[in-house]
Amino acid sequence: MKIEEMNRENEMIYSGHSACPGCGAALAVRFLTKTLGPNLAIALTASCWSIIAGVPPLTALKCPILHCPFPSAGSVGSGLRRGLNAKGMLDTTVVVLAGDGGTFDIGLQALSGAAQRNEDYIFVCYDNEAYMNTGMQTSSATPFGARTNTAPYPLFKEGQKKDIVQIMAAHSIPYAATATVAFPEDMENKFKFAKELKGFRFIHILSPCPPGWGTESSDTIELSRLAVSSGAFPLFEVKYGMEWRMTTPLEDKRTPLGDYLGIQRRFKDIDSERLKILQEEVNYEWELLQDKVRRSEILK
Amino acid sequence: MPPVMINQDKGYSFGNEPISVNKTGEWRFLTPKKIKKLSPCSQGCLLDGEIPDWMEAVKKEEWAEAWNIMKRNNPFPALTGYVCFHPCSENCNRGQLDQELDIQAVEKKIGLWRLNNYKHETEPCSFKGRVAVVGSGPAGLSCAFYLTEAGYEVTVYEKSDLIGGMLALGIPEYRLPRKVLEQELQLLKNKGIIFITNSALGSDYSLADLYSKYDQVFVATGAWVARKALIPGEENKGVWNALELLSAYNRSKIPDLKNPVVVVGGGNAAVDSARSALRLPGVNQVSLVYRRGRIEMPADQSEVEAAEKEGVELIFNATPRKIETDQNQLSEIIFDYSKTNLNGLIIDCNKSFKKECKTVIMAVGQNADLSVLGLLDEAKTFIAGGDMISGPATVADAIRAGRIAAETIKSFLEGLPGPLDDPKEEVPILFEELNLAARLNMQPLKKQVDPVSEAGRCLGCGTCNSCGICYLFCPDLAVDNVGGRYEFNLDYCKGCGICVKECPARALVMEGGSE
Amino acid sequence: MPFEVVSGSQAAAIAVQRVGVDLVAAYPITPQTAIVETLANYDAKGELGCDFVSVESEYSALACCNGAAAAGARVFTATASHGLAYMHEMIHWCSGARLPIVMVNVNRAIGAPWCLDPDQGDSLSQRDTGWMQIYCSGAQEVFDTVLQAYRLSEELLLPCMVVFDGFYISHTYEAVDIPDKEQVSKFIGPSNFKAQVVPGEPGNIQGIIPGEIQHQLVKKRSETMMFAPSLFEELNKSFEKIFGRCYRAVEVVAPIGAKTAIFTAGATAETVRWCLPKMEGTAMIQLRMFRPFPAEQIRSIIEKNNFERIVVIDRNCSVGVGGILAQELKAALYGMSKLPAVHDLILAGGIDLTGEMLGQMVEESDGNVKTGYKWGDELL
Repeated sequence: MKIEEMNRENEMIYSGHSACPGCGAALAVRFLTKTLGPNLAIALTASCWSIIAGVPPLTALKCPILHCPFPSAGSVGSGLRRGLNAKGMLDTTVVVLAGDGGTFDIGLQALSGAAQRNEDYIFVCYDNEAYMNTGMQTSSATPFGARTNTAPYPLFKEGQKKDIVQIMAAHSIPYAATATVAFPEDMENKFKFAKELKGFRFIHILSPCPPGWGTESSDTIELSRLAVSSGAFPLFEVKYGMEWRMTTPLEDKRTPLGDYLGIQRRFKDIDSERLKILQEEVNYEWELLQDKVRRSEILK
Repeated sequence: MPPVMINQDKGYSFGNEPISVNKTGEWRFLTPKKIKKLSPCSQGCLLDGEIPDWMEAVKKEEWAEAWNIMKRNNPFPALTGYVCFHPCSENCNRGQLDQELDIQAVEKKIGLWRLNNYKHETEPCSFKGRVAVVGSGPAGLSCAFYLTEAGYEVTVYEKSDLIGGMLALGIPEYRLPRKVLEQELQLLKNKGIIFITNSALGSDYSLADLYSKYDQVFVATGAWVARKALIPGEENKGVWNALELLSAYNRSKIPDLKNPVVVVGGGNAAVDSARSALRLPGVNQVSLVYRRGRIEMPADQSEVEAAEKEGVELIFNATPRKIETDQNQLSEIIFDYSKTNLNGLIIDCNKSFKKECKTVIMAVGQNADLSVLGLLDEAKTFIAGGDMISGPATVADAIRAGRIAAETIKSFLEGLPGPLDDPKEEVPILFEELNLAARLNMQPLKKQVDPVSEAGRCLGCGTCNSCGICYLFCPDLAVDNVGGRYEFNLDYCKGCGICVKECPARALVMEGGSE
Repeated sequence: MPFEVVSGSQAAAIAVQRVGVDLVAAYPITPQTAIVETLANYDAKGELGCDFVSVESEYSALACCNGAAAAGARVFTATASHGLAYMHEMIHWCSGARLPIVMVNVNRAIGAPWCLDPDQGDSLSQRDTGWMQIYCSGAQEVFDTVLQAYRLSEELLLPCMVVFDGFYISHTYEAVDIPDKEQVSKFIGPSNFKAQVVPGEPGNIQGIIPGEIQHQLVKKRSETMMFAPSLFEELNKSFEKIFGRCYRAVEVVAPIGAKTAIFTAGATAETVRWCLPKMEGTAMIQLRMFRPFPAEQIRSIIEKNNFERIVVIDRNCSVGVGGILAQELKAALYGMSKLPAVHDLILAGGIDLTGEMLGQMVEESDGNVKTGYKWGDELL
């Protein structure tokens, strides 16, 4: 993705789509389709993108989007891949696109099944950390301490965010990685690497949601950056569930979590105790991840 | 058998029409807009150069465009590329990342490109009037250039046989190759500027003569009268003044200097003299003595460093008291210790030292000769500028003075409001304000030899340098890449403001209203 | 013609192998298991000639079929009971998406509590999902219907469910005429319906639409399905030319002068067929095609034969209303000038229909009872 070579014509997305201003998911899919296109077919489960894609006969992408029911993404993707193979279209990259609900919650069974079968496609989860299309309800991707419409004041989301990449890595799939829109080249590298592999590949994209998170629409990139630099959403990749590797050179200088949470209204009334718990959780996960990375290096 | 039912014939479930018929720009409350903020280099530039703009053009190797931007402020980038002491680079924000930009190298490249590609510049098509310029130094040439561009016929009068003033006679060849100056002058001649040499104001013609033939007159005769140190022995044989030495040197009339040489003064003329002297046959010992400290030297520090490197001995905090002669030949010069405090220069006559010398070059300043103006006719207005008005300053200062003079003359003759000499009160963009995090994969990179690569290091502080970050991060693809430059497509811009927030150069703002 | 002794499940699987599909998505459930196992055995021997994928649930089985069919592939899956119920969302979806998917459902009661017997409520309760449903009464019918279902589906771009009773048909071995692939290919060639997902072509496939458009699409889907009975007849004409057998959407066995007709679908029809010779003056209407509901054909059969009483055998119950076939039949008869009485025998739970039960039911219906229902256990 060389910026100077990119233009409206060689992008796979059309202007005029229905995403909210500053939508991280719209941008993520822009990068995704640009990197994996043009020979690309997307199976899209119920999520914000079901709306962003537009009302037929209009469409927001220059590739086929096959809409499918909420829990079905993993399996529809399997079928689509195999169907295209049966029709001789072996070169087409198949992507399953799902939100965090369609990945962490209702879609987990089909996702796990497809991963276990090592289906030959790329599953992309754009994670806006709640059911945003229905108006910000708690999902199992919602971080501890956040306020949602199913955890309104004085409640807050209890229990920590599900570690989906660890779950996917436990399936020993060829490739799993995290990415954010603040690091498009990192994301591009991961998509490119994934594209060349066979088998099940999983990419988890943090996707800031201005209306849901209560952030300025202009902060989407900054939030993604802070999520990475604070360690709340580290950028890494896992090959065959074994080789863990960090992909950003930020390991040693993490920014305070408060900087990241401070500009999100969903964390507006977070008290120091909860902030401490959340920071400890992030620290713990971070150490766990670093440990895996170190072990991987030894294994090499 | 009934016909095969294909439900998709209506296309309801097979949408393939671009969603771009939806003009989502209608959602917008705030609109991004390109702006220009002051960069540290532009602030430092004596010519108010729009440096980030022409850096941007060079980066794209659009040399004609670079020249077009350049000439708005500086018509002689080749000359300044050699002789300007580039205060522009001093506060370059890039310096805080790795190393400041070599702005002058890029400027020089634009100048040389122009010299090699603009042999025959188009003649001005309109004739708006005649203007006489007195003095062919940088101020006069600059004024002549801009007036010619604006459609005036310009005649330049020069006292000497050489055109260029200080450029030709004051600046040694090692700093400004003759060929470059000659090419520059040739271009001016090609432009239709008439040069009359060996013709001095005051002796060969008067201001009144000029008024009878021209619509307006610009006087820029420079500052050529050497100041005196007023010390004993100053009139002796073997004591030169700097300009005298430099013009002889530039005319290739090798002056006969005797070793060792002592230069008195701390300006550029002093340093030029010292370096020139060292280049003469038989001279291998040159000392430069300045009455104040090193950092107080008016000379360009890079010139001072170059002199030091070449072997010029630098002595500071010493004021000459007397030049001694022995057998009709200079023998030594006596200095008193001196230093500056809040009240000015303090000379301590109790602490002195001798310096052996056979040649002394006095470079303690020059004045303008205002007598050439003769009796001024109050009814006539004329414009004057350059060193003549400001006292000895830099080539860049003179070029700027010429430009402002041209603008003044133009507005005067055309009955327009005069140019505003806008003081740069705006605070330039600080390094911390730049959003370098958005510049992906920005690795430290030191100065580059290739000017295009060097221009590529420009951060474009406060000016859009088409880095494309606004394009890259737009979720709505509402920024168009128009031949490498980026423009907002307001049909689709939802006004999220990501581009403004992420612009590394801080060259965007959000404005109220939907348009 | 080579006859083989196979179970109903095997017949279904063999038919799929003979048709030649691109993908089979399978998940096991009693009593359907033999179908996927038979197909897996074909796959093991390299004779399936298609992608066989063991998914992790019935929902995913149909979802997988959805994805593949959208790419233009011919697909197959089979399920039963809870599996079918679990698929429910996808069942709706595949019809709305106009995908020519063929699925076998082997009837089995839905819990709670757990029950394995062949109650037809699992498939009948999917009647509003927009699938065609064809009920078979024997292994030969199963084989033949699978072949025909693909033709129907691909002509109309609507999914089709081939349904038969658990155990009574699925696990019962019969002599079945099984033509080879070449013979079958005379009736059904390779799939050539238009793929929805075409790489390189943009498409917002099944993207969100307003209710007004959905209205038009449902209307169109409904109108299209209405062609099924006549298309079915046409298909059977060519089927007969090749295989010497044919079927109708509604079969009728009517001795001259019969005033009572037994109306049923599935394995019970076979029981009735065997009992008819002993039941003087009684006819049988076998409902093969349940969706679309062939109301016109049923009415004309009743009118033509002047049936006065209809006895419906419903091996299911829509709790709170009664047998589903009876309800459907009554709705179809609405407005007839000579309305027959409708008596319903409810065998919910999949209980067996015996000749005695049948005789007793018909006898009781011969009285003056206008209409009503009886539970199977009352006749035991």
